[in-house]
Parts: sequence; structure tokens; C-alpha cells
Amino acid sequence: MQEFSPSTLLVLVPLLPLVGAILTVLLGRTLGAKAHLPAMAGIAAAAVVAIALLVVTARDVGPAHGAHAEAVRPVEMISTLWNWASFDAAYTPPAGSPATDARLTPHDLGAGKDVRSFSIPVALRLDPLTATMLTIITCVGLLVAIYSVGYMHNDPGYPRFFALVAMFVFSMSMLVAASNFLLVYVFWEAVGACSYLLIGFWFTKPEAARAAKKAFLVNRVGDFGLAIAVFLLWMTYGTLDFHDTISSNGVIMPGILGQTRLADAAGYAGGAVGTAICLLLLLAACGKSAQLPLHVWLPDAMEGPTPASALIHAATMVTAGIYLITRSAPLFSACPGALTMVSIVGATTALIAALIGTVQNDLKRVLAYSTISQLGYMFASLGTGTLLGFTAAIFHLLTHACFKALLFLGAGSVMHAMGGVIDMRRFGGLRRVMPITAATFFVGAAALAGVAPFAGFFSKDEILAALHSKGWPSAHGDHHAAAAADGPFQLIAFSPDAAHATVTAPAVGLDALDRPETWQILFWMSLVTAGLTAFYTFRAVFMTFTGPTRVPEGAHGHGGHGDHGDGGGHDSHGSHGSHGGHESYESPPAMTWPLMILAIPSALVGWLLFSTNWLAHFLSATPSLTAPAVAATATPHVFHMNLAIQGTLAAAIGIVVAAIGHLGRRSDGPQLERFLGPLQTLFANKFYFDQIYSALIVKPLEGLALVAALFDRHVIDGTVDAIAGIPVALGSIVRRSQSGLLQRYALVGVMGVLAIVVLLTWQLRG
Amino acid sequence: MNTMQSLPLLQNALTVGAILFSLGLVGILTRRNLIVMFLAAEMMLQGISVSLVAWSRYHGDWGGHVLVIFVLTVAACEAAVALVFVLQAFSRTGRLDAAAWQSLREANVGRTIDHELPAIDTVPLRFPTLAPAGVLPPADENEPLQREHV
Amino acid sequence: MNPVSFDPLASGPLLAGAVLATVASLWLLLPNGRDTTTARWLGASLGLAALAAFIATGRRLGGLGEEAVFLIVSLVAVISAAATIVSRSPVYAAIWFALSLAGVAGVLLVLGAQFLGVATIVVYAGAILVMFLFVLMLAQPAGLASYDRVSNEPFLSALAGAVLLGVLSLSIGRLSAGPASCCDLPTRATATPLTATPSAAEGIAAPATAPVATVVDPLAENHVARLGGELFGRHLVAVEAAGVLLLVALIGAIAVVSRGEAAHAAEATTATGPAAGRSAAR
Repeated sequence: MQEFSPSTLLVLVPLLPLVGAILTVLLGRTLGAKAHLPAMAGIAAAAVVAIALLVVTARDVGPAHGAHAEAVRPVEMISTLWNWASFDAAYTPPAGSPATDARLTPHDLGAGKDVRSFSIPVALRLDPLTATMLTIITCVGLLVAIYSVGYMHNDPGYPRFFALVAMFVFSMSMLVAASNFLLVYVFWEAVGACSYLLIGFWFTKPEAARAAKKAFLVNRVGDFGLAIAVFLLWMTYGTLDFHDTISSNGVIMPGILGQTRLADAAGYAGGAVGTAICLLLLLAACGKSAQLPLHVWLPDAMEGPTPASALIHAATMVTAGIYLITRSAPLFSACPGALTMVSIVGATTALIAALIGTVQNDLKRVLAYSTISQLGYMFASLGTGTLLGFTAAIFHLLTHACFKALLFLGAGSVMHAMGGVIDMRRFGGLRRVMPITAATFFVGAAALAGVAPFAGFFSKDEILAALHSKGWPSAHGDHHAAAAADGPFQLIAFSPDAAHATVTAPAVGLDALDRPETWQILFWMSLVTAGLTAFYTFRAVFMTFTGPTRVPEGAHGHGGHGDHGDGGGHDSHGSHGSHGGHESYESPPAMTWPLMILAIPSALVGWLLFSTNWLAHFLSATPSLTAPAVAATATPHVFHMNLAIQGTLAAAIGIVVAAIGHLGRRSDGPQLERFLGPLQTLFANKFYFDQIYSALIVKPLEGLALVAALFDRHVIDGTVDAIAGIPVALGSIVRRSQSGLLQRYALVGVMGVLAIVVLLTWQLRG
Repeated sequence: MNTMQSLPLLQNALTVGAILFSLGLVGILTRRNLIVMFLAAEMMLQGISVSLVAWSRYHGDWGGHVLVIFVLTVAACEAAVALVFVLQAFSRTGRLDAAAWQSLREANVGRTIDHELPAIDTVPLRFPTLAPAGVLPPADENEPLQREHV
Repeated sequence: MNPVSFDPLASGPLLAGAVLATVASLWLLLPNGRDTTTARWLGASLGLAALAAFIATGRRLGGLGEEAVFLIVSLVAVISAAATIVSRSPVYAAIWFALSLAGVAGVLLVLGAQFLGVATIVVYAGAILVMFLFVLMLAQPAGLASYDRVSNEPFLSALAGAVLLGVLSLSIGRLSAGPASCCDLPTRATATPLTATPSAAEGIAAPATAPVATVVDPLAENHVARLGGELFGRHLVAVEAAGVLLLVALIGAIAVVSRGEAAHAAEATTATGPAAGRSAAR
């Protein structure tokens, strides 16, 4: 490793899966059943490199010193590959606009004041946040690739799948490693495209094609927000880089998230412009992370193959929104109203998604709504704006990646064994016939529900702590109170009368939401959501794995004797084969090994990271989180016992209710739904979001499209046809002179000649 | 024959040629019988011949004469071949009518049919027959004794 | 011998009147629906009037004799030509055409083309016209066919012909005896060298086209011999080609006829009904 510098390693992480993808595209047909090799090799190598980078960065950060909060210096490494676009003196903002404010914008002194040059360097960055994300992406990607070898076996699109997975890992890696907002946008779109291709993998199925289209279009709304946000960032800050760059004159040009600007207490725009930027970034994150109101695509995305769902819609792509907001933490910190909106959106989404998830009968749908709900948790945590909040969100992201991927892969194993059936009402008691899947699924479910000491318990506890600290600031010590009263940042409003505004002035507009009452409501919402999470998770577990063993026809079974050798090419595990005469439906090792591997961190990583406080300490060295506004909210690392009790109580209530309704013999049917009455219809119809969107947006657009089509067909085509018809009409008039009579033709010819002769004679007279 | 006189002779002869040419032109454009059309064409050639010889006389040159000889030759060949084709045309349609050939007309044009045919101004022909030898033919006062038209 | 100078303006209206009269007469005379006697007489008179007008616009030749001869033969030619195209019966048209040929031959003889005049009679009237008559014999239906009694666009055609005639007359009238190269004919007695002609005294050295300066007197005795010498001298290749053309035309005509007969024989064996309107004489 000595000859590889960190910058080389950093480039290798996205490069290796890209090479794997290209090789798969080129050689996929010839490799046939071995088409997974280039992609898997690329991702595996990238995973190794990512772990190495994690180690390198951790060494740079240094060890955590106990439970004290301390100022951590930022750690980042920038590696600029090449300059993609560069225009000198590209734009002169008009005088008086925010872009000309000396405190905010870099001046290109060489070309004169206030002249901006536009340059986009392809630069990669390495800091704790990026290292964490890269590790998650590549490791989960590797496990999903191994799993897919078994799951996608015999699928005609086998090489295409692995090419897409490798392509996705490349795009996502570049997204989290890019050090420029425009590059983030590019790869934001790229992951959206990979998601579209993977959701619509079986594109011959109309539902899959429709779901892919829906996902892409809904994401487009978010992408629109990101584009406008990029424009506003450029106009406000004069650059799109995260990091500081040095111009040709030796002047340091502060990047948006560069250390120069981060150290500047007044470096970020608040007020209308800043809030607009933050809300647009929130819109983009909502689109990608399936939050209200752009959450409608994620449940439909379950039409794609389950490994794709596990990778994209559980662990990695949907976390791009979380990543974006975490990365933009200093921007958000200057706009408390926008931060509160983030939390409100997140908590609301969590609650609503949990409610919808309680009545779903499709196992993958339950997990999809669970994903939306957990992402809402992360957003709620991000919106607190405290260091605890940010680190808790990333912590929950990490644990969620582990156990949600595990749950999805387990659901895929069940679906594979049941011959494509995923409706929980049609099977039951599978723990006897799929023991490995059942055990790992149980571990994942316990982690999701927040049962101690599994991973989800600790991360959820931290989120609740962050919300609690905002709702009841006095209970959390001086730091928060001091922070609330003497904010390290000043509101810089770009209205003429606000130049002297301080934080003691009454907050206007959106900022008025940032009150403890709001946070208290959000806290209670999150607690209720925790209970609901436990309920629907264990409802799914009980309905699937407990009770009498029922298996639908067409399931891929293989028994101790009378083996169907062609059951999808499964092995028969001798030791797990027959339990009391049941056939074994267990999946092949390629599928069960990733389950077992993922069960380990689902069980342990929460306790490991929490007890050592390593993750929070590690992440706090991210430059974005060293901004004074964020770093000043650091609290000592304590275990909040009362919150833990509240959380566990909520989870226990949920599990007990689920057991009452669905454990054992009652696992086959709707039990509690009867008590919900009309609410059940509401939840089952997903709060009518799809219907509302269809009526408000889709149908009018279809109408508009119809009008446009009619206009095109009748007016435009009609005009063109009419114009084309003019020569035809003229011709048909002239055609009538062609009578076929020889003498008439001769007469016309003679008259023509005569005309010429007369004309010539007239001209030649005299 | 001096120059001054030859010019009027030239002009008169050219006028005759022009008249013959024009009459022939009118005949081709107007008459529908194929044979009469060819007669008119030959008349045009006659007019040309007169003009050529007039110029030749005026210039004191043989050129016009020679050209007229070739015109004569070609007219003979043309007449021979053309009449063969006229007979072929007749055998296909049974008429010597130039208007019988209209199939090269456009699709949206109907067939031109003579509408206002002048009334037949001849009574149907009844050819005289020879009575068998020794038999007195029956007398018929109404039978026209002379054919008016061929 | 007073040359008549041609004054276009004076004879302009005359010419226009002649053209209009020609149009009217042709339109009346050509076969159409109006076959009334009145129309025919009117047309004939108008035609004669037009003819008179053309004669009036013409030039006066030298002596009365020359003028009378020329007038007679040209009148024969023209009136017969008009009769050819207005006759309803094609046989009559052919006969009138023969008379017109006689007139044309006369005109040619007046112009001094002795060989051509006779050749016209021999070839045209003797051969071509007879061929036409043979075809008429084979193909003409009994009685007047309907297509002989109608004309195709008589008015427009008459107009075209008359306008053409008017334009040509105008152009002919504007000819003048300019300094042409070689226009002076020597008298029968003397062969005037070119340099003595007044036209050459204009100072044009262009008539150095000495070979062309061989002025031809068509009224010399050995007219035909000289014509023959010219033909087989300068135009030998053309004469031979004309002979080949005659042969080719002959062969071609025979070939087309025989193929036509073979095709008809094939049709007759395959088709059941006879071809529409096939003449029994065929």
C-alpha cells in the first residue's frame, strides 16, 4: 500500500467499478454464466480500497478522548483530476445583488472587481463523511453482488444486471466523493438513471416499466430543485466548489464548504436567499430519499429485482439526500427555518409511512414503507442542526444500511423460494423450512424495531436524544442553552433594514417555526413512529415465519428424498434439509451467506460504535460539521437512560400488539385491521397520494399532452398537408389539359411557338 | 434577271410558301382523319420546298435545290413508314381517327367523345347490285342513282 | 422596271385585314357542325378576299407575262391547298392535293428548278399520293366517317395559322436587297465577274468565299447535269446516305407489317371475338 497515495486510492474507488461495468458490457455475452466476475471483482477491489481509505482517514482524525466534547480539527484531502470547464470573466453580477457582497464572494482580482470566472474542476475529496459513505456503498454493493449471483441465476438479463450494479456503485461513489456541486448534480442524475434502469430491469412487464417511469419523473422534480439550488449557489457564492481553491493570482477563493468560509462566522447567507437555497436542497433530498411529498415512487420501485431494491432503495441511493443535507450543514445552519422544515418533513413522513406500512400485505411493500419511515427519522435528526443530530443521522444511516439490506435480501430469499409469491397471506410458518433466512430476518427485524442491544436501538436512541434536546433545551446542559441564546452565526438578511439584525430580533417567516414547541411535537411523533415501526416489522415477521407452515404451489422446494434437481439449481443442504419431514426451501449459499454476513453488523455495530463514540468523533472531523454553528452544539456523549426507556417501551408495545394480532396460529390473516375501520382504507390507499397526484398533476398533463397531440396532428400536420396539397391541387387543374388527344397537344405547342415568334418580330421591328 | 427583280420574285415565292405552310399547319391541327393529316404535313413540306428553292434562286446557289431533293427523299420514306403505322392503328381501333387514341390522358380526365356530331347528311348508301344475267332487275324509284359521297 | 418599295405602314392594315379574313374563312370552311351552304359560300368568299389582299401586298414582278404565269400557278397551288384541308371526303382531299402539287410544280418551274418541279410531280403525286389513296381504299369506311365531319379546335387552329401567316408576311415584306454576298445573277450572255457587281463595290472583302461565288443560273441548258454534278460532287455522302435511308425505310415498313400480321394471327387464334371494328377488307 505504500506506493499508493491516498489520492490514487481515492480515484480507484469509483474507477474500479466503472471498469468492471465497461468490461461487463463488452464481455457479458461471451462470459455467459460468469458475467458477474468483472463487476464483482471491481466492486470487491473498491471495497478493499474504501476500507483502506477509512483506516487512513481515521488515523488522520486521531482517537477519541473519552466522553468529552472537544473541538476537532477538520480533516480533508482534495484530489483534483482535471479542469472540466473554465471560462474567465464569465459573469458580472449586477451591483447590489448578494453576489457582490464582499463577505461572501471571492473576487477575481485579476480581471477587476466583481467579475466571476466559471470553472468546474473534477475534484474528489476524502474526509470522514466521504470515507464512511464509500465504505457503506462498496461493502453493501459487494454483498448485493454476491447475493445476485444466486438470485439472478438463469435470468436472461444476467450480464446487464451486473453492469448496472457496477455502474451504480461508480455513480454513487462519485456522488459522495465529488467536491463540486455541479459534479454532485451530474452524479445525482446518474444514480437516478441507474435506478430507473434497475427498477425497469424486467421492462417487458408493464408494471415495472411504469414504476421505473414514475420513479424517474418524481426524481426529476427533485432534480429540478437541485438545479435551481446550484444556480442560486453560483450566484450567491460565486463558485460551486466545496473546497478552497487558489486562483492564478495566488488569491484564495473560498469554496462554499471550504475551510476559509467555514471559519468565517458570517460566511453563509441567511434570509430569503439562503432559505431558498436550503429549501431547494431539501426538495432535491426529498426526491431522492423519498420523503413527503415525493415519496410515491419508492413503493412502486419494488417491481425491480430484490437485490436492486436492497442496494438502491435501502442502503445507498436513498441516502444521497441525507448525504447532501449533511454536507450542506453550514448552509442550513444559517437558516433555522429551513432546518426546522427538514425535521418537520422527516418526522411527518416517518409517521405517515409507518401508518401505511401497518396494513400492507406485500412483504417488500412493508419494507419499502419502512425505508421511507426510517429515512424520515434521519431527516428529523438532521433538522435539529446539532452535531448530535448530524452524527446520529449518519449513524442511523449506517445501521439502517446493514439491517435494511439484510431485510430486503431476506425478503428476496423468501420470494425466491416461494416462486415469486411475496404476499404474506399466502405463506406462513417458514421458519421451519428456511431456518437461516428466518434467523437472519429476525435479527434484522429486531434491529429495525429498536430492540436492545441490536444496532437500530442505539441509532434510534441518538435520534430521539437529538430531538429531545431541541424540544427541552434546559434538560441538556449549558451548551445548548448557550448556543440558543448566543448563536455563533448572525442572520444576514439582504433586505435593507436588516443590516443590524441580531439573533435577538424576532424571527420572521419560516424561522418562526424553530421553537421548542415544534420540537416537542416532533419528538412525540417520532416516539409514536417507533412504536408503529416495531408493530409492522414484527407483524411481517410473525405472518411470514410463524404459525402453520403454508407454502404456495410453484415454490422451489427440494426435499431429503425425491430431489427436484432442477429447482432453480439449488443445493440441498443435508443438515438443514428435513425438519420433521418438511422439504427445505432454503436458498443457495450465494444467497444465504450475505444474509449471515449482514446479520453480524446488524447485531453488533450499534453497540460497538456507540460505546466507543468512535463514529461521532470520526464524523465530527468532517469540514462541514466543523462549522462553528454546528460544532458549538457539541454535547458530551452520554447514554440517555430515560429516552432509552421510552424508546424500548414504545417498541415493546408495538411488538406485543403485533404478537396479539399475528403470532402463531393467527398469522394468516387480517386481525387488527378490522379494528381500524375506515382508517384501514385510508392507510391501504397510501393516504390517496397517488390518486391526488393523478388528479392534480398527471391527468391535467395528460390532457395537455392530448391537446398538444391533437394540435400537432390536426393543426400542424393539417397545415403541412394543406401546403403539400397545393401543388397537388394545382397539378390536378393542369392535369385536365392532358386529354390524350394528339392534336390538342400540337395546338398548344404551335401557339407557344407562335407567341415566341410574334414576340421576336415585335422586338425586331424597326 | 437582275438583282432588283429577283427580290420581288423571292418575296412572292416566299409568300406562296408561307401560305402553303400555314394551310398545312391548320390542316394538321384540325383534321382528325389520319390520312388528311398526313396530306397536310406533306403540304407543309411543299411550302418549305418552295421557300428553299426561292432562296436558292435568289442567292444563285445549289444549296436549296439539294436540300429540297433530300426533303423529297425523306418525305417518301416517312410516308411509307407512317402509312404502315396508320394501318396498324386502323387495325387496332377500326378507325382512321386521331382522337381514337386517348389512353395517354391523365387519370382524372374523361374520354373525349364527340357530342355534337353534325347530322348525317348522307342517306345510307345502297350500292347497286348487278342482276344475274338474263334477269330484269327490279326498279326502285327511291333508290338514289348517284352516290354523292365516296 | 420600277421597284416597288415596300411600305410596311401602308400595308399594315391590309395585312391585318387579310389575316382576319383568313381566320374567318378557315373557321367557316373547316368541317364542323355548321355545314350550311351559306357558311360555305361566306367562307369561300372571305378566303378569296384574303387571297386578294395577299396578292395586293405582294410585289410586282417584271413583265406582265411573268406576273401572269406566276399568279396562275400560285393561285392553283394555294386554292387547291385550301380545298385539301377543308374537304370532308379524304379521297377528294387527296385529289385536291394532287392539284396543289401541280401548282407547286409550276411555281418551282417558274423559279427555275426544272428538275425539282418534275421530281415533285413524279415522287409526290405519282408515288406518295397513290400510296395514300391505297390506304384510303383499305381503311376508309363506307360513307363519311364521323371524324371527317368534325374538326379539332377549328377556331384556335385557324387563328394560329393566320397569325403565323401574318407574321411571316411581315417578315418577308421587310426583306431588302442589302449588300448580300452573291446575289447578282449573270445574264445569259455574260458571266459577270463578281468584282464588277455594285454590291461588291461596297468595299466588302468578305466575298472572298470564292468557291461560293460560282453563281448559278438555273435557266442554263445543262441545269440537270449541273445539279447532278453538285449532288454527286459536294453532297456525295449525303446522297448515298439518302439511298440507305430509303432502303432502311423499306425494310422497316415491311418488317412492321409482317410483325403486325403475325401478332394479329396470334390474337385471332387466342381470342375468341374479333378485334373491335376490324375491317373485313383487312
